This record gives sequence, structure tokens and C-alpha cells, in this order.
Amino acid sequence: MRRRALIAAALVAAAVLIFVVGRSMAAEPLRASVAGARYAATVVIDRPTIGPITVEVGVTSGDAYTVAVSAVMTGMGHATSELSARATAPGRFVAEGELFPMSGAWEVSLRVNGAAGEETLVVNALVTG
Amino acid sequence: MRPARLLALAALLLAALLTALLSLGASPAAAHNVSAGADLRLAQTIAGTELTVVVKGTTRVPGPLRIGIIAYQPVTGLPVALEVRSAEDGRTVTGEALASADPRYAELRVERTGPHVLTLRAGGESAVVPFRVLVERGSGAELLIYGGFFVAGVLLVGGLLTGALARPGPAMAVAAGAAAGVTVAAMVVVFEPMVPAGPPDGAAPQVTALAGGGRPYVQERVATVPARPVAGEEFTLRVDLVDGSTGRPVDDLTAHHEALAHLVVTSEDGRYFRHVHPLRTGPGRLEVRLRADRPGRYLAHAELEREDSGGQLLAASFDVHGPGTQRATGDGTGGADSGTGDTGDGMGGQASAGTGGDAGTGGGLPVLAPAVPVAGRPATIEMDTAGPVRPWLGMAGHLIVRDRDGSFLGHVHEMGSPGSRRLRFTFSFPAEGSYLAWVQYALADRIVTVPFTVEVSAQENGR
Repeated sequence: MRRRALIAAALVAAAVLIFVVGRSMAAEPLRASVAGARYAATVVIDRPTIGPITVEVGVTSGDAYTVAVSAVMTGMGHATSELSARATAPGRFVAEGELFPMSGAWEVSLRVNGAAGEETLVVNALVTG
Repeated sequence: MRPARLLALAALLLAALLTALLSLGASPAAAHNVSAGADLRLAQTIAGTELTVVVKGTTRVPGPLRIGIIAYQPVTGLPVALEVRSAEDGRTVTGEALASADPRYAELRVERTGPHVLTLRAGGESAVVPFRVLVERGSGAELLIYGGFFVAGVLLVGGLLTGALARPGPAMAVAAGAAAGVTVAAMVVVFEPMVPAGPPDGAAPQVTALAGGGRPYVQERVATVPARPVAGEEFTLRVDLVDGSTGRPVDDLTAHHEALAHLVVTSEDGRYFRHVHPLRTGPGRLEVRLRADRPGRYLAHAELEREDSGGQLLAASFDVHGPGTQRATGDGTGGADSGTGDTGDGMGGQASAGTGGDAGTGGGLPVLAPAVPVAGRPATIEMDTAGPVRPWLGMAGHLIVRDRDGSFLGHVHEMGSPGSRRLRFTFSFPAEGSYLAWVQYALADRIVTVPFTVEVSAQENGR
């Protein structure tokens, strides 16, 4: 009886450990809002991982015509080419392609062009795998 | 049986500790972060005067963000307009601070942690300083410690009572609970200092293992506005910083000796000297207004530091054109002395202060030991100040040395005893020759610049 309880406790502890470790390894969706002087936007990347991804940009303030997305890893001096986002609705843009060639701390730059001119908005992203 | 139960409890406790360890990341870099006890101090050359902006941290959000403007030159209540905007939701608050030697802090309200942008406006100039508001999160350790002791205390009393009522079984159970409480609390007390503190609320995401070696080098592009500055007329010196690996603007400067960048502008002959702190006007762009008194070639040395990196020195030059008339001194900008230095006219004799003028202002002459420094050996330069010294840029004094052609620039910090009216610098001049040197320190109401020259002899034979 006691042994069973002990085994059960050990199993629970192991399950908790696996859950925590697994959770910290899985890519968490990136949701960020950023406000510049001219435009404000929200960025959603459901799976910020290495390889092809989808970046959804909603321009919440300002009249945006085009949005281009690129990424920079300032710590290592890596930069990626721009992905042009296609407009899906007024103020809604979706960019698809490879944005993060490796895991680490990245800055996602949104180059927004619109009625108020051009502005680059930056959000931070942690790419875990 | 009891030990087995306790063992299980200890295993659970260990698992809990491990979870806490795993769920915590590394603490963020200290660049431009404003948190309780860690103020942001940035020197700015704005409206023709030297100011230091101090943003005091807050312990909570929504909460107060206090901003003060310290003046180092005689300005009487120069108003500086403040604007703090959250870079996440765009909420903006404004205020005004008066620059003075002992400023009153303006209180602005921040609603959230995370990235913010501070805009300063004074004398027709503006600076845009990004920073992060951080608030420490409670670690949860206190709850476990006090909770554990509380449980232990309650159960001990219960145990004693049950024991007094002569019921050994329940008494043992209660005592075991008390022991467990004490164990939890004691273990957390022991292990808590080993657990790295979690990132405060509002910190930028960061990887735990830092990529070693620092960030790529910075390249600069220096331009003047107008493109052909004229002697005696104000112009803007613009420095665009470019990342050497990506070609993108460098926008991650940290506060390096209380400034985004220290820009030393000297004329080729060293008669003109300014140590200024350019304003960030956009991503990777620094600007400062200057006025050169004579035409000729001017050298601009910028000392700066990127996040997670070391200091860097960038050198550039530009030409000042215009009327060839020799003007001994600048005619002051905007009612206040431009730059931080008085014009260092008269690079006097060897190791002696400039010929009177306004540079010495009652302070002593620099004393060198040895009198003729030897290349590659430490030399000490001491100087009595004209009055009680106020820390400026985090130090009591600064010594800037330049060789004749401007290819070498050194920035030495004062290393004397605090509170002393004697400044002491130690520096090893790298090669023989003649060096231009400027000692700078702040008095109650002004910044004093003492120019002099140093002759350095070659190393004697047999090093």
C-alpha cells in the first residue's frame, strides 16, 4: 500500500517534470502589439519556428498600404530578406515564408508604408526550435 | 512507514524546486532599463547646454515614473518638454521638467511595463530615447518560506495539545506535518539564493545562453547639415550608425558612462575641443548642434557601446568652410556655452595649462609624474580643481588625450580618492611624440575644461 503510494507520487512528479520541460521546448505563439509614432500594429505568429511560417499583421492605427516583414538577430548579426505581406482585408496583412533560420532572440521588423509615410515597427520574438 | 512518507514528500518538494528552476529564465541585460533602484541616466547636449536626464524606476504599474533634468552649465530653469509613449499600446503622457543643478522631478504615470519611448524637447531640438519599464515579479519563495513556518507553528501547537490529551497516533501525524512545514521552509531558505531570479515584468525576451563575443562592430557615416558648414555658423553633425554584419541601423546602444555616445570633436590643431552627447533622433541616428569658430578640418571621435558588447571608438572627420576670418572664440549658442568645453585656445607649452583664458578658471596646473612620460609606461597626471567637484558622467573627472594627427584617442577616468579636490589620472601613452590632452570636471555650476600638451619620450633601451 505504502509502496504504491510512493510509486504514484514519483509518477506524478515525473509527469510534472515532463510537462514543464516539454512546454518550455514547444514554440509558444507570438502575439505582440507595437505602437510607433505613425502606425500601430499587432503581430501574430502561431508557430514561431525555423522553417516556413505565417505572420499575421493587423495595422490597428494608421492607414497602411503595404507591409514587409523581416527579421534580425542583433546578438549574432544575422538578418533575413523581407517577406512582402499580402493584404487580406483593410489593415490586415499576411506574410508567408521563412523568417527565422535559427533559434534564438530575434527582432521582427515591420516596414509599414501608408498614408502617413513609412515607419518600421519592431517586436521581439524568441524562437525556440 | 513514517520515513517513507517523508521521503515521498521530499521527492515532491525537489520536483517543485526543479520546476521553479526550469520555468525561470536569465535576467535581462541592463540596457536602457528602468526598474526600481536602477535609474536610467543619459547625458544629452540639447539647446546648447549639457544636461543629464534621470528616469527613476517604479516598483509597480500603473505607477509613477519620475523624470528629472540635471543641468551642468548655468541655465536658469530651462524647460524641457517630456513625452512618454508606450511602444506597445501607444498610450502617451506628457509633462515638463525644469533643468537645474538640483532638479525637481516631474512625475509621469506609466500604465504598463515593457518598451516605452521618451521624447525630450528643448530649444527647438528633440531627442527620442527608447527604454523599458521593468517591475520585479515576486519569486514565490516568500510564500513557501512563511507558509511552511506558519503550517509548522500551527501543527506544533496542535501536536502539543494532542500529545497532552494522550493520543499518540494523531499527535505523531500532526508532528510529522509540522516537520514537513519546517522542511519546506528551510529548504527554500537554503536553495532560494541559488535559483536565478526570473526576468522582471516587461523585459525583452532573451535566450539563456548568450552568444559569446558580443555584437557585430558598428560602422558610422558622418555628415553635416548643411553639407558645407561655415565657420561661426551653427550646423548639425549627424552620425548614422550601421551594423557591420547586417548593414541595418544600430539601435541598441546602451548607456555607456551615462550617455548613448560621447562625441569628441576637435580641430586638427586641437585648438577647438568639444565633448558632447548627441541626441538620438531616429533609429541608428545621432545628431548634435555645433558651431566651429575657424575653417579647417575637424575630427569627430565617437565612443559608444552596444548591448552585450564592449565599448567601441569610431573616428571620422569633416570640413568647415567659409570666411577665412580667424575668430578666436565661438560666439556661444542659444545663450549658453556651446559644448561642454570652453574653447581651448592656446595649447600652451609642454605639460602646462592653456595660457590663462577661461580654461584654467582658478584650478591648478596639471602635474605629470614622471615629468616627461615614457612611452608604454604608466604616467600619472594630477590636477587641483577650482572648487568642489560634482560627479559628471559617473566620474569625478575625465582626461581625453589625442595624438597630433588624431589617429589615436584615449579617454581616461579619474581614479583619485572621492571627495578630494585633486584629480588623478594614470595613463600609458602608447608611443613617443606630442599629445594633446584635456582634463574635464564639473563644478557646481559649470564644466571646466583644461587643455594642455604632453611630450612623451621613447622607451629607454632594455625594456
